[in-house]
Amino acid sequence: MEQKFPRVTSADLRVEVAGLRLRNPVMTASGTFASGREYAGFIDLSRLGAVVTKGVSLQAWAGNESPRVAETASGMLNSIGLQNPGVEAFCARDLMWLSGRDVPVVVNVSGHSLEEYVRVVERLESEVAVAAYEVNISCPNVDEGGMAFGTSCAPAAAVTSAVRAATKRPLIVKLSPNVTDISEIARAVEDAGADAVSLVNTLLGMAIDAETRRPKLARVVGGLSGPAIKPVALRMVWQVARAIAVPVIGVGGIMTGEDAVEFLLAGATAVQVGTANFVDPTSTVRVLDGLTEYCARHGVARVSDLVGALEV
Amino acid sequence: MSCADLDAGPHPLLERVEVLANDRVGAGVGLLALRAPRVAAAVAPGQFVHLRIATGSDFLLRRPFSVHRAHGETIEILYQVLGRGTRELADRARGDVMDAIGPLGRGWDVPESAGHVLLVAGGLGAAPLGMLAERLAARGVAVSVAQGAPCAERLVARELFESVARRVEVATDDGSAGEPGFVTLVSRRLLETERPDLVCVCGPEPMARAVAAQAAEAGVTCRVSLERLMACGIGACLSCVVTTTGGRKRACVDGPVFDAGEVCWDGAEVPPRH
Repeated sequence: MEQKFPRVTSADLRVEVAGLRLRNPVMTASGTFASGREYAGFIDLSRLGAVVTKGVSLQAWAGNESPRVAETASGMLNSIGLQNPGVEAFCARDLMWLSGRDVPVVVNVSGHSLEEYVRVVERLESEVAVAAYEVNISCPNVDEGGMAFGTSCAPAAAVTSAVRAATKRPLIVKLSPNVTDISEIARAVEDAGADAVSLVNTLLGMAIDAETRRPKLARVVGGLSGPAIKPVALRMVWQVARAIAVPVIGVGGIMTGEDAVEFLLAGATAVQVGTANFVDPTSTVRVLDGLTEYCARHGVARVSDLVGALEV
Repeated sequence: MSCADLDAGPHPLLERVEVLANDRVGAGVGLLALRAPRVAAAVAPGQFVHLRIATGSDFLLRRPFSVHRAHGETIEILYQVLGRGTRELADRARGDVMDAIGPLGRGWDVPESAGHVLLVAGGLGAAPLGMLAERLAARGVAVSVAQGAPCAERLVARELFESVARRVEVATDDGSAGEPGFVTLVSRRLLETERPDLVCVCGPEPMARAVAAQAAEAGVTCRVSLERLMACGIGACLSCVVTTTGGRKRACVDGPVFDAGEVCWDGAEVPPRH
């Protein structure tokens, strides 16, 4: 393994997010990494800061009709619709496999209702392999729940409080960019007990085939991700990091180590790599190596020194 | 299910591949030869490679292509220029390098007991059937081919099929080669006269569906290679699902070849464009 995946070492890469001590700030973004098994032949999972799983709901969800994906300029739209086998199958298959990989596991939790979020977390409480939860109140691809909880303060706070009451584990809330003022939502979930926030989920968008006059996605609209959204994500991370006291995890179009550095400078304590995994299955470790190389080149002793170090 | 089951099977490879040739072989159809020693050694008929045709963020996703043939250190890919990805691919020249993930997916599963296999190809559906025809013939299996295309210029890989199959029958929409009409005319007749043990079909989904119905009527097992838009190609993103009697399956790892009997055709979608 060592020869197959050469390491670059220098700066102290450790960060602490939501009470989680991570060996480095590079995590996976939910829904782009499944539960890691598909990537284990390409990278050494134990090099990652954490694996954030695909969203898990109480029962199995079938997801949306196809086509579910469309390429756009410097990005892609998806409308998968949180297809997942339900929390029981997740524990038996995915979590069991992941628990042997020497990497912190953050389980992304989805629900159609407030009660469903709580019941998923309650089921996961007995699983020792779970290091933290990321509550998804920002998926644009489901009709009930998902983003509906994440686009105004009261429901966002209600989900956070309900999950907070069900667990003492680190609680991350993943925020939607499809709002007027993301700082307001961030403050609401912080007040409701979130230990950290991750942002951004995908931007609601659409694509049309002019030749056929049809939408490219069966669901018509979907979530935009990839390098196209990075400037929006950076701006929102910068705004939120100034508005709240708990850590921010930056996500949105990170393809390189330099992209990750930009998010740290904007105020993120850690980052998530998403769409890049579809383009290059080694993206997470490439980002990590790039970040390490940046630290060496700039004489940065601790990667945490970069957090919020934007010079304006 | 145990962890061992979940880990079963070799992992796909990430390989730098080099263009050896990129030739026009029909109307809007290209044949790309790539030096890809590791993929070439591991690939089975019906599997595909996921090519990163261009780098740079403006052109983001990979494109999946069936492996048409594999010999020595070379794999061949047949493609039709349809969209941005294939236009870009047509511009690649000898010496260009790109990276490939492969071999991916489950290919044609032909049981040892099958002594005679009918291949049914519609248009570029000939692509994943070329290597299958060669490998079956090499192991002494009788191969018949029903091939259809819009016109004679789009009857790709016809020479390959004629060199290894005991019978090749052709139909074109415009009658410029073989019988005028759809390939389903030919496949129906060959099912009756050749009595194959297995039918392997790839082509536009309505055609594949019609051939699957013919095979079911004749009581012959049928496998079908399906095409879907996909992002990751390795089973993570859930973009490429096919609705089956066993739920939604991923074309990239559970397919692209499915048993026709498990496919829920009403979940069919408009043909994807590369």
